[in-house]
Amino acid sequence: MNNSIKMHRAQKGVTQQVLAEVIGVSRQSIVAIEQGKYVPSTVLALKMARYFETQIEKLFELEVDE
Amino acid sequence: MDLIVLLPNGFKKMGWVLIGLRIFLWSIHLFFDWEPEWLVVNYFTVFNSQFFSDTTWFEFSKQNMLYTILTIFPIVGGLFVGFSKEKIEDEFINKLRLSSLLWAVLINYLLLLLVSLTIFGAAFFNVLTIHMFSVLIIFITRFNFLLWKNRKEMTHE
Repeated sequence: MNNSIKMHRAQKGVTQQVLAEVIGVSRQSIVAIEQGKYVPSTVLALKMARYFETQIEKLFELEVDE
Repeated sequence: MDLIVLLPNGFKKMGWVLIGLRIFLWSIHLFFDWEPEWLVVNYFTVFNSQFFSDTTWFEFSKQNMLYTILTIFPIVGGLFVGFSKEKIEDEFINKLRLSSLLWAVLINYLLLLLVSLTIFGAAFFNVLTIHMFSVLIIFITRFNFLLWKNRKEMTHE
């Protein structure tokens, strides 16, 4: 699973800490998600999409072999 | 995602205190033969089997509670440490916790298998005593290692 959280965060000009606080998770979780080590639940992914005012497919996409 | 039910964060500190106390009491018991008389109480036992005496069921008998304390403190302390919320508990931390628990159970029984095949006699009973706490020890160590590793990977922004 690829994601563009880091890019969206940079476009919006928010830090990992701010994003973590807004969606109610630890900064460790944001780091793990951005690094692709952790795939968030649907609820968390939807919260991120809502915060970045985008569609969930723009934030997360399946890899070719998935 | 539903988070697993955990104790409040404050229990973690209490858990470490209990574990610390256990280590302290066990050390003075081991090095100074400390076995205080005031800890001998008439205690209700469900099953009691001592060397050179009869086995009894549901009876009051004189017991030194030091050994009970040395067993209960690390178990309760370990449960408090392992199953208390982090300051920010979320689904990622939950995942680390559950994967550490799975890992601990697996490693614990693999070690027991190895020990069963290699250690015999009285030493095996010592191993079984350690085995009472080993799953908690492995779980807490693994979970805290993963937390530390993830914290270390956080870059400053």
